[in-house]
Amino acid sequence: MERTTLSRPMAIALAFMAVIWVSPFAWLFSNAFDTAATGRLVWPQNFGIGNFTGAIGGDAGRMFLNSLLIAAGTATISVVVGAAAAYPLSRLRMPGKNALLWTLVLLRMLPSVGVLVPLYFAAQRSGLLNQFGVMLALSCLNLPFTLLLLKNFFDTVPIELEEAAYVDGASLWQIVTGIVLPMSRAGLAVVWFFSFTGAWNEFLLPLIFSRVEAAFPMSVGLYGAFGRMGAIDYGFLAAFSIIYAAPAVGVYFLLRRNMNTGFAGVGVKG
Amino acid sequence: MRHQANPWITSNLWLLSAAMLPAIILVGALLFFTGWAVTFSFTDLGLTGRKAVEWSWVGLENYERLFTRKGFLESLWTTVIFVFFSAIVGQSVLGFLLAATLRGTVSTTRSVVEICIMLGWLLPDIVAAFLWSATTSQTGLINSLFVVPFGLKPINFINDFALPVVTLANIWKGTAWSYLLFVAALDSVPREIIEAAKIDGATRWQRAWLVVLPIIRPHIATNLLFITIWTFTYFPLIFAMTGGGPGRQTETLALFLYNQSFARGNLGFGSAISVAMLLIVGALSTVYLRMLREPK
Repeated sequence: MERTTLSRPMAIALAFMAVIWVSPFAWLFSNAFDTAATGRLVWPQNFGIGNFTGAIGGDAGRMFLNSLLIAAGTATISVVVGAAAAYPLSRLRMPGKNALLWTLVLLRMLPSVGVLVPLYFAAQRSGLLNQFGVMLALSCLNLPFTLLLLKNFFDTVPIELEEAAYVDGASLWQIVTGIVLPMSRAGLAVVWFFSFTGAWNEFLLPLIFSRVEAAFPMSVGLYGAFGRMGAIDYGFLAAFSIIYAAPAVGVYFLLRRNMNTGFAGVGVKG
Repeated sequence: MRHQANPWITSNLWLLSAAMLPAIILVGALLFFTGWAVTFSFTDLGLTGRKAVEWSWVGLENYERLFTRKGFLESLWTTVIFVFFSAIVGQSVLGFLLAATLRGTVSTTRSVVEICIMLGWLLPDIVAAFLWSATTSQTGLINSLFVVPFGLKPINFINDFALPVVTLANIWKGTAWSYLLFVAALDSVPREIIEAAKIDGATRWQRAWLVVLPIIRPHIATNLLFITIWTFTYFPLIFAMTGGGPGRQTETLALFLYNQSFARGNLGFGSAISVAMLLIVGALSTVYLRMLREPK
C-alpha cells in the first residue's frame, strides 16, 4: 500500500479494464449518431443527428416532460417536507429523539419492494395511480434519508448566529429564512439533486403506477421500446438513452465536490 | 453542547411541531405500510376480480406456500447466487482491488478509470439494461468482436448464459460505489502505522492482511451491508434484461414478488414474499452490524 508508480503489467490490466468499461458507451454513441444504425459497432455510416431530433419530439418528448415532472416534483416535496422537520429535529431536545433517529436509519434500509404491495393498494384506493402518486410514494420512501441528511446539515449551522439574531429581535421565521437556510444552501442543493436523480432513474413505481401511456416517464418508455418484439430501432433507442442518461450523469459531475457529504450521511449523531 | 433552552425555539413549539407534521405523516405511512404488508400476507387479497373486494383471512397458508410450492426457494437460491457473485465477489472485491492499486498513482490513470466506472454507476438502470441487452445480443458487440472473428457461430448470450450476463452487468454498473467507499477507507489508514509495520519487517502481504484490513473492517462491514441489501432487492436491471427468464433462471426474489403480485395478481402471496424478504434483509443487517461493532 505504499506510494508507488504502477508496474507495466498493472497499467496494461487497468487500461484493458477501462476499455471494457467504456466499450458499451462507444457502441451507444456510434449508433446514436448513425441514422442507419444496425446495432453493430461500426463508424457511423450515415452520420447525422436525426436520431436525436426524433428522440425529443412526439411521444419521446412527452416522456421527457413526464420524467422531469416526476423528478422535480419528488425532489421539491422531499426537500420542503424534509427541511421543515429537520430543523426542529436538529434544535429541539425531546424525549425519544435518539430512538426516532435510529428508526429513520432502519427505515432508510427498507427496500421499496418490501412495501410495494401496500403502496400500490393505498394508491389504488385513494385514486393516486398517477404521477402525483409516484411523487408522493417516492418522497415517502426518500424521506428517512432526506431527514437524516438535512438534520446533519442543520447541525453544522452555528447556533451562536441564531442567538445573536434573536437578541437583535429576529423572529423564528426570520432566523430560519435569513440564517439557517442560506447557510445550508449547499446541503439543500445536494439533497434536492439526489432526490431528483433518484426519481429520474426510478423504474418500478412508475411501471406499476402508470395506467396510461401518456403518463409514462422515460424509464418505462425505454423499457417498453426495447422489450418489444420485432425490429429494434437501435439508432433511436441509443439517442433516447443518451438524452435520458444525460441529466443523471450531468448532475453528478456538477455537484461532485459536494457529493461526499451526502455519501457519508448515514451516521447518527445524537 | 446545545444550550438547554433557545428562546426562539421554546416560544414557537407549536409552530415547529406543525412544521414536523407532514414528515411525521409520511414516515408514519411508511411504518404503516410495513405493518400492512404483514397483515396482507395472512389474506388471499387479489389484484383484480372478486378477491380484490371479498378477500378473506387464510392464516398461514401463504407462508406454507412459500416452502411447499415451487418458486420461492428456487428464487431465493438464484438471489443468493446473484448477490454473492455480483455484489460480494464482483463489486466489493473488484472495488477494493481497484482502490488499493490506484492509491497514490498518477492522477490521469486514476481519473480515467474513475470516470469509466462512475459512468456505469450514474447511468439509469434501464439504460444499462438496454446497453447490455444490445451488447450481448447475437449481432452485438461481444459476438462481433470475440466470437464471429474466430469463425464461431454467434452466441445468444442473454438466452444461453442469462445469469452470468446479468451478474456481469450488475458488476459493471455497481462497482463504483464500493470503489469510492474503499478509497475513503484506505485514506483513513494512518501512514505512520504502515511505516512502523514496514520498519518492523512486515511483508507487503502481512501489512495488508494484519494492519490495513483490521483498521478498515468497519468500512468493509458498511459496504457489505449496503450492497447486499441493494442487490438482494434490486429489480430494474434484471427485469428489463430478461424478465426473469429464460424459464425462471434469473427470477430473483424481487422479480418473483413482482410477478406473483402484479402479473398473477396474488397480492396476499406477494405480501408474504415481501415479508420474507424484509426478514432476510433484517437478519443480514444484524449480522453485518455485529461485525461493525465487534471490538478490534
